Amino acid sequence: MWRSFGKKLLGLLVFVLFLSFISFCLLKLVPGDPVRSMLRVDDVAVSREDIADLRNELGLDRPLLVQYGAWLGKLLRLDFGVSYMTYRPVLGEFAEKLPFTLLLTGGSLLVMLVISVPLGALSAVYRNRWVDRFSRVFSLIGSSLPSFWLGLLLIQLLSVKLHLLPPMGGGSLAHLVLPSLTLGVAMSAIYVRLIRSSLLESGGQDFVASAKARGLHPARVFWFHTFRHSLVPLVTLLSESLGSLLGGTLVVEILFAYPGLGKWIVDAIVARDYPVIQGYILFISLCIVVLNLLVELSYRWIHPQLGWKGR
Amino acid sequence: MSSVNPVKPRNPLRLLPLLLILLLAACSPSPANTAEPAAAEHGQTDKSLTLLFNVQSNTLDPHTDVNYTAVRAGIAETLVRISNDLSLQPAVAESWSSEDGQHWTFVIRSGLTFQNGQPVDAAAVQASLERAQAVNPSVKNSLHIRELQAARQELTIITEKPYPQLPSDLVHPNTAIIAAELAESAPVGTGPFRFVSFQSGSQLKVERNEQYWGGTVQLAQASILFNEDANARLLALQAKSADIVYRPPVESFAQLQADDSLTLESLTGLRTHQLMYNMNNEALRSEQVRKALDALIDRDAIVGSVMSGQATAAQGPFLADAPFSPEYLPKQFSLDQAREAFAAAGYDVENGLVSRQGKPLSFCLLTYQSRAELPLISQLIQASAKELGIGLEIRQVDNIDEYLAASDDWDLATYSSITAPRGDASYFLNAAYTSGGALNYGNVQEPELEAMIDKLNGTVDEQERNRLARDAVSYIDAHMLNSYIVHPNNFVAFSNDVKNWVTSKSEYYLLTPELDVE
Repeated sequence: MWRSFGKKLLGLLVFVLFLSFISFCLLKLVPGDPVRSMLRVDDVAVSREDIADLRNELGLDRPLLVQYGAWLGKLLRLDFGVSYMTYRPVLGEFAEKLPFTLLLTGGSLLVMLVISVPLGALSAVYRNRWVDRFSRVFSLIGSSLPSFWLGLLLIQLLSVKLHLLPPMGGGSLAHLVLPSLTLGVAMSAIYVRLIRSSLLESGGQDFVASAKARGLHPARVFWFHTFRHSLVPLVTLLSESLGSLLGGTLVVEILFAYPGLGKWIVDAIVARDYPVIQGYILFISLCIVVLNLLVELSYRWIHPQLGWKGR
Repeated sequence: MSSVNPVKPRNPLRLLPLLLILLLAACSPSPANTAEPAAAEHGQTDKSLTLLFNVQSNTLDPHTDVNYTAVRAGIAETLVRISNDLSLQPAVAESWSSEDGQHWTFVIRSGLTFQNGQPVDAAAVQASLERAQAVNPSVKNSLHIRELQAARQELTIITEKPYPQLPSDLVHPNTAIIAAELAESAPVGTGPFRFVSFQSGSQLKVERNEQYWGGTVQLAQASILFNEDANARLLALQAKSADIVYRPPVESFAQLQADDSLTLESLTGLRTHQLMYNMNNEALRSEQVRKALDALIDRDAIVGSVMSGQATAAQGPFLADAPFSPEYLPKQFSLDQAREAFAAAGYDVENGLVSRQGKPLSFCLLTYQSRAELPLISQLIQASAKELGIGLEIRQVDNIDEYLAASDDWDLATYSSITAPRGDASYFLNAAYTSGGALNYGNVQEPELEAMIDKLNGTVDEQERNRLARDAVSYIDAHMLNSYIVHPNNFVAFSNDVKNWVTSKSEYYLLTPELDVE
């Protein structure tokens, strides 16, 4: 098992390195560089000569491979570089934003699970009854509502009308609720339908009929046989959602002035802040790689018959 | 697919609504933070205020922050300030002088201390300016400092060449004076407020500096929140989570004006929306063609419909009442005038349509989304041009500066900049109208104009500088080197409990010692 796991990990690290090279090349193919932003051409008098001098000083006029080599060399010494916009270490800025993104990820997944697991399960159990019809309407509305609008509605209700929650900011549990609700409700719209269909499919399997025939308690049949078997598509989608949430949620972060990774990276892309963009890509690709590995491991826990040697 | 057997009705989910309500109640903040105006919770000696700004800061280092939050929040101050009438005023420096524009003496205010009690002498100012130059290439590049010499309260600055606009450039918040050795942790400046806490991209908290040199500071605490979403800012004002809100949505003006508990203030800002002409296009090298295109700009309609009345029609690059603005030539939206100008430029005008050798004219007009009104302005110009049979292909780009600098496949471009951010015309004239200027995207090459700008660059006397700037701007105006469209307003909504709020043109100073709440 561990050998197979190790081989996969090594392959995925090579993939991350390859990805960093491709993203580096793509960044450089896009016209423009950070020099104009660094010199604040829209605020102080700057000449084209000044721009050329700084570009030369930063090595941005050197061949692509030399620039990549320099970045990789620093990376091997665990030096992620300094942001061209704030002149602060990329790792420090990243470490500042990451906890907020992790909290928001956890919060929105919690909201999603709290809504979608019971609602999806009830829809499957009471198929075509009013709960099922309600969940269908909920899914339709939830997946059609743009998140910024849902967020505004929640602020209107919970902050302006009821004065229950602060409308923006970060740093406390109270600040986490509105953005988590906004993201969680939107996500649960998809999960409810997935859980329902997955449960219905599992419920028709022979091993479920066999469990019932053995006289097991219905709740035990549901949770230990039907539900467990239906987890595979749920875990797959969950890993995708996790990757996307960890990458940052721009709209929600802007709306709630939430200090996460999404706004940070979009600002960096607009300003062509290469060290920040490269550091971010490296981190996110590592996260997704690790997530994929964990998902594969979880399949084997859900379906022990898959074995540990892999296919 | 068969259905699943029902689980027995011991459903723990029935407690879910109750749990959710308890969770929300547990999370809900104390009324002092959100539900009531911050000031209302405090007595006369413990007043606090929350300001919601529309651009976020990712760092509080005044030497590198592009949003200038440390200066806006009154933590740090610069050697020189700018007033609302665009005149320079003493701040950390109580006076300054130079005979030749190259050797400057700045006298640092005596008895001044940093917020940690450390005295502010010329050596401390020198250390701060040296740090600003070291960490920010923009500061280093713009100040042109060759040498700094400190002697007690006198700081001598020697520039690489005569640089008369140095005091104006020292208004820039990135040159703020802070205790340089502490800069890596938190800014310690000389302003009316001391740093308390900062959450990157989200909020800043400050408290009163009891030792402030400029008199009593009215507020005990203040917070600046950042939110780039206009609707969210409006909701925060309605939720009473903020006392002052920058740039609420324009469409909410009627609603805000109808609210007796709020005041809405709107003031013409220093920004100018403009239309650039690419002089590499042969047609646009003709002054008459540029004048014809300018006549297609309906400034009044833009102010009224696109800007919802929150702007002033621009006649030139600078506000009409600036000391360096000349008497601008009148600009009028007139299709007939445009046709006449095209005819004067040698184009055929038949049945109201303009053509050359039987072919209709067409241009590519660049615009960008980050200033939402610019694509709308482009559409208005496009509609006017169509009346003359001129095709304007509107193309949106993500980063206008990068595109203009790297490409030459455009003819016209909408652009927006703060043309005189620090009370001096030379920054914009140098950047936009000299051959090597970084904002000269249209490749304007006018030797006569450059000679005027050169002369301005070498002149120290303020009156004379203003006169030379007026001459240069008159030249730009007469030759229609760019079209200037509107000056958008700065608008702020605030609670009637807020006292002594001043909406500044420069937007460099938000939290002031006089700012107060009832």
